[in-house]
Amino acid sequence: MRTKKWAVERTRTIQGLVDFIKKFLKLMASEQLFIYVNQSFAPSPDQEVGTLYECFGSDGKLVLHYCKTQAWG
Amino acid sequence: MPQERAHGRAQYRMTDDKDVLRDVWFGRIPTCFTLYQDEITEREAEPYYVSMTKLLLPRISYLTLVTDKVKKHFQKVMRQEEVSEIWFEYEGTPLKWHYPIGLLFDLHASNTALPWSITVHFKNFPEKDLLHCHSKDVIEAHFMACIKEADALKHKSQVINEMQKKDHKQLWMGLQNDKFEQFWAINRKLMEYPPEDNGFRYIPFRIYQHYGKTACSSLLDP
Repeated sequence: MRTKKWAVERTRTIQGLVDFIKKFLKLMASEQLFIYVNQSFAPSPDQEVGTLYECFGSDGKLVLHYCKTQAWG
Repeated sequence: MPQERAHGRAQYRMTDDKDVLRDVWFGRIPTCFTLYQDEITEREAEPYYVSMTKLLLPRISYLTLVTDKVKKHFQKVMRQEEVSEIWFEYEGTPLKWHYPIGLLFDLHASNTALPWSITVHFKNFPEKDLLHCHSKDVIEAHFMACIKEADALKHKSQVINEMQKKDHKQLWMGLQNDKFEQFWAINRKLMEYPPEDNGFRYIPFRIYQHYGKTACSSLLDP
């Protein structure tokens, strides 16, 4: 992804992010995409980005890693 | 749960209070499962009673992990082509399998008489309300992700990352097979902190509200 920084509303869920990234990267709906926080855990798809930011954000941003295969999970 | 430092050398640890841990682990909810009346069956399906003498629902487990017998019971009376993924509902509300059973009960049914009456569905999966659960691997992945998320707050993930894969597996198997000792042999490491520290870095907890938005995880600086 060339654009790495995005402003996302707090109530967006992880599933919402997955759907967005899949469309952005032109992945097929059937392909899997995993999202990780702190390069250590995959949050539940219904978790809101705002909550994750409050617990794991720093310097005004939440860093997430995405992967087509399971990495840290 | 916050831990207080006693005076002198003796130090209170949560894992010392085994009675409380056992009470939490062995909490049970007597439950009755009934097939949704509109689901077409070949013959009448008797409700499946999860009674006090047989299999009670463990509060700390997950619906899709402990209902194999319920699924088999109702699938017997359904036509094969009618059966797809099982899902559960209470008084019109789809029950999120990825919430612990005790939490679901407290949120939705704590004021009603026991046994808890849950309706079983095999059709019309509510995509907007529920996550899919196609296999036990999905439950395991969700459970381990919760453990990892909590340890990220407690120990900056150090304890969970230093464990071997077999330890992670033991944690999961302990939960799946209802083995208190097996589970806590590993979990106690996640619930301890070095004596030189004053406690966990942060204490992870979630507050679930019934109406409106659900969970909000929070940081609590000890």
